[in-house]
Amino acid sequence: MKTFLTHLLIAGLLLTGGAAIATDVADISLLKYPEPAGEKCVEPAEKMRREHMDLIQHQRDETMHNGVRGITAKHSLKGCIDCHVGYDDQDKAVSINAEGQFCQSCHNYAAVSIDCFSCHRTTPDGENPMRKSAMTNPHQ
Amino acid sequence: MTFLFATLFYISLGVLIVGVALKIRQYWKTPAPLKIPTMPAPTTQAGVVFRMAREVILFESLFRSTKWTWMFGWMFHFGLLLAFVRHLRYVMSPDFILWPLINNWLVQFAGQYASLMILFGLLGLLARRIFVDRVRYISAPSDYLMLILLLVITVSGIMMSFVTPIDIVSLKAFMMDLITLDSGHELPVSVPLVIHLGLVALLALIFPFSKLLHAPGLFFSPSRNQVDNPRERRHISDWAKKLES
Repeated sequence: MKTFLTHLLIAGLLLTGGAAIATDVADISLLKYPEPAGEKCVEPAEKMRREHMDLIQHQRDETMHNGVRGITAKHSLKGCIDCHVGYDDQDKAVSINAEGQFCQSCHNYAAVSIDCFSCHRTTPDGENPMRKSAMTNPHQ
Repeated sequence: MTFLFATLFYISLGVLIVGVALKIRQYWKTPAPLKIPTMPAPTTQAGVVFRMAREVILFESLFRSTKWTWMFGWMFHFGLLLAFVRHLRYVMSPDFILWPLINNWLVQFAGQYASLMILFGLLGLLARRIFVDRVRYISAPSDYLMLILLLVITVSGIMMSFVTPIDIVSLKAFMMDLITLDSGHELPVSVPLVIHLGLVALLALIFPFSKLLHAPGLFFSPSRNQVDNPRERRHISDWAKKLES
C-alpha cells in the first residue's frame, strides 16, 4: 500500500509538472561553497538570506547616486567578495560566481540569476585584507 | 509548522489527483448521444485537435462571445502559466535535464511579473461579477469566494516576491524533502508564506469539487471535440448500439 501511494504521489508530481528527478544536488545540505574568511557577517545570516540583494542594492544607491563612500559602506559588494571568495590550489582567487562558489551555489539552486558581475569584478582587487593566509608571513 | 504543512501538502495533493482522476473518469464515461459540434466545425480529427488547441491556448469561443471577459480571463490564465513555470524552480533538482529551462533569467523574470497580470485579470473578473448586472444575477457565493481565494494567493505571492522576501533556498530544501520523502529541512515560516501555502493547499483540496474543473472539462465538451462528419460516419453511442441489435 505504501509503495502504491508513493507511486501515486510521484506520478502526480510528474503530472502536475513538478518533474523533479531528485538526486544528491537536490539536497541543500550537500551544497558546497568555501568557508568565509571573517568571524561573522555584517548582518545576521537569517537577514542576509532574505535581504542581501536589497542591502547591496541600497548600498549601490548610496554610493553611486548619493556619493556616500568609505567607512559607512557596511553593505558593499566588495566586502562580501573579500570575505566569501574561495581560492584554488595555486592560491589564486576563484570567481565568486563560478560553479561551487559562494554566490553561485545558492543562486543556481534557487534559479536566481545574478547581474552584479556584468559590471563588478568577481574576485578581490589586489591583496585581500580578509584573507587569513595573506596576513601570515609566507616565509615562516 | 513544518510537519503540519508537509502533512497538509500530501493530503491535498492526494485529494487533487484522486479527485480529478475520478472526475475525468466520470466525464469519459458520460455518453454524448448526439452529434453536436458547433459550426463551423472541422471535418477531420486533426482539425479538431487544432480547434481544441485554439480553444485551450487562445480561448477562442470566449473571445467571440465577450471581449472583456476574454481579456481578463486570458490575462489571468496566461499569467498563471508563466507563474507556474517560475514556481517549478522549487520542485526541480538542479541536475534535472529541464533545469536550464527553468534556471533562466527570462523565464524567472516573466514569471515574477506575470503575477501582476494575474492580479489585474482577477480584479477584472471580480469587477465583472460585481458590476455587470446579468453576471451578478447568476453569481453564487462560490463564484466570489473562488476569485477571492485566488486573489489572496496572488497577493501573498506578490508580497514575497516584491516586498518581504523569504528564504527561498530553505523553502526549496523543504519542498525537495517532500518530493524525496525525506525530512530535516524546516519550512522558513513567514506570514505571507504560510498564507500562500495554506491557501494553495486549500485550493488543491477543493479543486475536484469546484468550478475549477472547467480545466479538464473543456476537453470533454461535445460541441468542441466532435468532428463534423455525420454523413460520412454514423454517430452512435454504445448504449444505442445495443438497442439496435
